Amino acid sequence: MAALPRRIIKETQRLMQEPVPGISAVPDDSNARYFHVIVTGPEDSPFEGGLFKLELFLPEDYPMSAPKVRFITKIYHPNIDRLGRICLDILKDKWSPALQIRTVLLSIQALLSAPNPDDPLANDVAELWKVNESEAIRNAKEWTRKYAMDN
Amino acid sequence: MGMCWCKKKNEDLECYVSQITTHQDVNVVLPPPSPTPQLFYSRPSITKSPDPAVVDRLVLETLGVIETLVDNEQEPPTSMVQLHNIADNEDGWIQVVNSMIKVIPLTDPLGPSVITLLLDDCPLPSKDSIVKVVSLFSLSRQTALMGRNNPTHQRNTCVVLGSIAEKLAGPRNREILNDNVIDYLLTNLEPETNPNVILFSLLALEKFAQSSQNKVTILNKIKRKHPSPIVALEKWKHDIHYVKRQVGFCAQWILDNIFVIENRTYSYLSVKMDHINAMLNTSDVSEYLKISPDGLEARCDAYSFESVRCTAQADSGVWYYEVLIITPGVMQIGWATKNSNFLNHEGYGIGDDRYSLSYDGCRRLIWYNAKSDPQTLPRWQSGDILGCLLDLDNQQIIFSINGVSLPPSVHVFSMATSGFFAAASFMSFQQCRFNFGAEPFKYPPAVHFNTFNSHGNLNPEEKVVLPRHIFVNQLRQQNINEDSCTLCYDNKATVRLIPCEHSGFCASCASLLTECPMCRAPFQLVVEDNPVSS
Repeated sequence: MAALPRRIIKETQRLMQEPVPGISAVPDDSNARYFHVIVTGPEDSPFEGGLFKLELFLPEDYPMSAPKVRFITKIYHPNIDRLGRICLDILKDKWSPALQIRTVLLSIQALLSAPNPDDPLANDVAELWKVNESEAIRNAKEWTRKYAMDN
Repeated sequence: MGMCWCKKKNEDLECYVSQITTHQDVNVVLPPPSPTPQLFYSRPSITKSPDPAVVDRLVLETLGVIETLVDNEQEPPTSMVQLHNIADNEDGWIQVVNSMIKVIPLTDPLGPSVITLLLDDCPLPSKDSIVKVVSLFSLSRQTALMGRNNPTHQRNTCVVLGSIAEKLAGPRNREILNDNVIDYLLTNLEPETNPNVILFSLLALEKFAQSSQNKVTILNKIKRKHPSPIVALEKWKHDIHYVKRQVGFCAQWILDNIFVIENRTYSYLSVKMDHINAMLNTSDVSEYLKISPDGLEARCDAYSFESVRCTAQADSGVWYYEVLIITPGVMQIGWATKNSNFLNHEGYGIGDDRYSLSYDGCRRLIWYNAKSDPQTLPRWQSGDILGCLLDLDNQQIIFSINGVSLPPSVHVFSMATSGFFAAASFMSFQQCRFNFGAEPFKYPPAVHFNTFNSHGNLNPEEKVVLPRHIFVNQLRQQNINEDSCTLCYDNKATVRLIPCEHSGFCASCASLLTECPMCRAPFQLVVEDNPVSS
C-alpha cells in the first residue's frame, strides 16, 4: 500500500468526525484519494430536494494542486457540462493549498445556489439561462426531479 | 472498450442466436436489428402499458448486439434506446425488469452484465416502483426452495436485486431488504442451490451491505446459522467447476472484507507467499477490483471497467505470462506502460489508449488505442489459458489461446519500447487468474523468455493484500499533532509570511508557495518563529 500524506489522513478524519451539513464525502475503501460525495441541492434553488452524486480525486501533488471533482448525477446548470465537469475558479487558477475538500464542496454547493451564466461551461444551458431564465429554471427542476430524486 | 451504449453494425450475430433459441422460455425469432434508431432518448409518445412480448424481444435483441458494441463514442443500439424509453414510466420499468428476469439465458456469458447495463441505462424509477417490483417477486425462504428448479429465473432475480442495491445505497436500501428478502438470499446460499444462483445471491448480499444498517442486519442473521453458510462456500475457491470457483472467491472476499466473523483468520495472514515475487499491484488498480489474498487472481463485480497492472516491469528481452480464464466474458488482457490510464467509469481500460495493447477473447478482438481488430480463434471458455508474450527485441506482442498463437501485434511500440507491465481490464462479473511464473506454464513458448516471478522482488510488506477496512482503520488511527503545518501536516508549523503575517506553515511547504495560501498576497520573506527544537 502506498503511504498516504498526513494532510489527506487529517482531512479524512475531520470529514468523518465533523461532517458538513448537507454534504457527505466518504473515501473509497480501496483508494483513499478517491471520495464518494453526495451534495444536497440547496433550499430555494432549482436543485432543492435533489441528491447529487459527485466524485472527488486528490491528485499526486495535492494540496499544491486542486482536487479533481466531477458531478456523476446529471444536472442542468450553466457552469456544469454534460460530463459533469465543473467551471469553478478555485478548482483551477484560484486554487490555494489552504483550501480543503470541505471548502471545495461548500463552494460547489454555493454554485448550485448561484448559477453564473456569464462564465459558462455548458453553453446551451447558459444561453437559455440568459435569454429565458424561468424556462431554464423549469428545466433544472425537471432534471433534478428526474435524475436526483427517488420519487 | 465499448461496453457502453455504442455499437458497431452487426456482422456476426450467429453465436448469439444459437444460444437464445436453445433456451426453453424463448420462441421468438429475432429480426435483424433495425438499420437506424427511430427514437433517441426522447420521451415516449404513448404511456400505455408495454406489450410484454415486445419487451422480451427487445431485451434479447440488446443481449444479442451487446457483444458488437465496440466504440465508446457511437450511439446505443435501437433496442436499447427503445427499452430506455419504455422504462421511462413506472409500468414500463417494471416490465423491463420482469422481461430481463424471464428471458436472459443462464449460459450467456454476458447475461448478468447486460442486466446491470440496462438497469444502469434506464431512468431510475421512484422508490415506490422499486419497492413494488421487489414485493411482486414475493421473495422468501419458500420462493428460494421452490425456485431451485428454475435457476435462470432465480439467478436473474438476484442480479436485479444486486443492481438495485447498488443504485440505492443508503437509507432507501433498507426498505427493500426486509426479512423475507434476506431469508430468500440466505436460503439460496445452501449448497443444493445452482451455483449460479448462489454466486449472485452472495453478490446481492454484498451490495446490500453497502449501507451499514443492512450490513448489521445481514450479519446478525448469518451468525445465527451454524455452520455459517458463507464459510462453507469459501472452500469452493479451488473447485474445478468454474462457477463454484467464483462462489469460493467471492465468499472468501466477503468474509475478509464485508461480513467479518469472529474466530476466522484473515486470508492474508494464512496465505503462503514465499514463492511469489510478482503479483497484481494493490497500489496500481482502479477502485473496485477485487484481488485475491495471494495477489494473483482478480475479479470485478462493479459495473465500471476495472483495471490493474502487475508489480514488476519489463524493459528489454522476451517476457511471458499466462492467464487462466475463469469467466468467459469481456476482459481485455495484455500489456501496458504506466502511461496507460484506468478510466474505469468512462469504460476505458487496457487496450483503450496508445500505451497499452490487449486481447479480448470473448469478442475475439485485439485492442489498441480503443480500436479493435477482429481475430479468428474461437471465443474463449472457462478453463482456457491465454498466453501473453512480449518480445521487446523484435517489438511484437503475441497472444495465444491454449498454445495456438494469434498474429503478432506491433502498434504499441510506436509509443513505447520499454517499461511494460502485465495488465488487464474486467467487465462486470469477470474473473481470471494470473501466472507470472510461480507455477509451471501450461503452454510455454518455444523461445527463451523471462518471467516476472523470476525477476521480481517484493518485500514481505508489499506482498500483503490487506482487506480494505483494515487498511482504512490503520489510516484513521494515525495521530496528528495539533501544531503541524496546516498544508502538509507532516512537519511542525514554524514559519510566518511577511508582509501578510499569516502563519501555520512549515519551511518546506513555504518553499513551494508563490503567494500566501490564506490571502493570496505575494510575500517577500519567510520568518522562522518557532524553530524546530533540536
